[in-house]
Amino acid sequence: MDTREQIWAEAMRAERRGDAAAYGRLLEEVADVLRRLIRGRLARRGMGVHEAEDLVQEVLIGLHTKRHTWDPERPFLPWLHAIVRYKLMDAGRRSRREARYLSDLPIEEWSDLLAAPAEDPDRALVDVDRHVAALPMGQRAVVQALAIEGATVRATAERLGTSEGAIRVTLHRALRRLAAAANLEQAVPIRGKA
Amino acid sequence: MSRPETDRLIRDLAREAGAPPRARFLSMRWLLPIAVLSLGVAIALVFLLFGVSAQLPGTVQGAPFLHKVASALALAAGGFLLARDAVRPGGEEWGNGWGSGRWLPALLPGAALLLIGGVTDESGLSSFGRSDVSVPICVGAIVLVSLPALGLILAALRSGAATRPGRAGAAAGLLAGALGAAAYALACKNDGGLFVAIWYTTAIALVAGLGAVVGRRTLAW
Repeated sequence: MDTREQIWAEAMRAERRGDAAAYGRLLEEVADVLRRLIRGRLARRGMGVHEAEDLVQEVLIGLHTKRHTWDPERPFLPWLHAIVRYKLMDAGRRSRREARYLSDLPIEEWSDLLAAPAEDPDRALVDVDRHVAALPMGQRAVVQALAIEGATVRATAERLGTSEGAIRVTLHRALRRLAAAANLEQAVPIRGKA
Repeated sequence: MSRPETDRLIRDLAREAGAPPRARFLSMRWLLPIAVLSLGVAIALVFLLFGVSAQLPGTVQGAPFLHKVASALALAAGGFLLARDAVRPGGEEWGNGWGSGRWLPALLPGAALLLIGGVTDESGLSSFGRSDVSVPICVGAIVLVSLPALGLILAALRSGAATRPGRAGAAAGLLAGALGAAAYALACKNDGGLFVAIWYTTAIALVAGLGAVVGRRTLAW
């Protein structure tokens, strides 16, 4: 009976040989473990399944983009542990930042809002521009490329030197953030052009 | 985000199995050549700023010069090891302050050399140098010639995975500052052991601090 360390380390070695099936299984198993870990923790903080799933993806992308930093001579679990901890810490920092961003309501904006009788379309466009400008740099680059220049997911991934999956996720996050900023009820679902 | 999206993400990522990381010169694989290059850049900057003095052949054979360079390179070696380990996740047990006490052994040889130089200083020279501008010139020059090194080293560290970006940046700054200090020894006119112990240390610490501040942002991923 192999231990988890052996099974996962072997899957990581298989990834280097280009074995997509073994690597995919590893990612699924890691995702399951992460879900159990993160959901429990977020539920206590009053956050939902969606935030948990976001974080799971965040960690998977981190694992994927930094997988070359694992040395096959060394144990895999401590490496994974460090990656997971870093991503959780990062998410904590980001959610504090986002809370600040959302609660940053200058009195001018507040009174404009109350003074404006109706939404005029031009004004809405200006708002979108302003919200796009307020996105974090990575998200802004992706929105710019996909939504404004009309590039494909693949071309954007190549240009930004990351994976298509990561681009989709970044776009999704950006849209959710824009939706939150624009005060829409629902985020726009994504149809990625693969 | 929902489960199906995660499943699709996993499929996307799995498809990239076996794809090696993009080959770049500024990566961890080349950290040692990059450090050597950084030292070269720092030396070139020192000559550019201070010119090549006629006393140079005499200077480089003197004990004070060798002491400065040995101390600085010992600190650089420590910084190199710390920086290398800082971007390898899982290398340290977390919760042990500064990377399970690795900072002490890394800093010790260089610090000991500087300390010995300071304690055994019988030159009678002031610890503030020969003139009013000795300290600002020495510290300013070391920090200045270290900046390109800091940029190169931080760029290389980005290819690793810093799980504590500020700390990794501080290690990069220690390495860059120590290389800058070694280069500045070529132009340094203050041979008092106490002066060197105090002000070289100060300058290197400034670059390490700068590295920590810049690293916190640039080494995040």
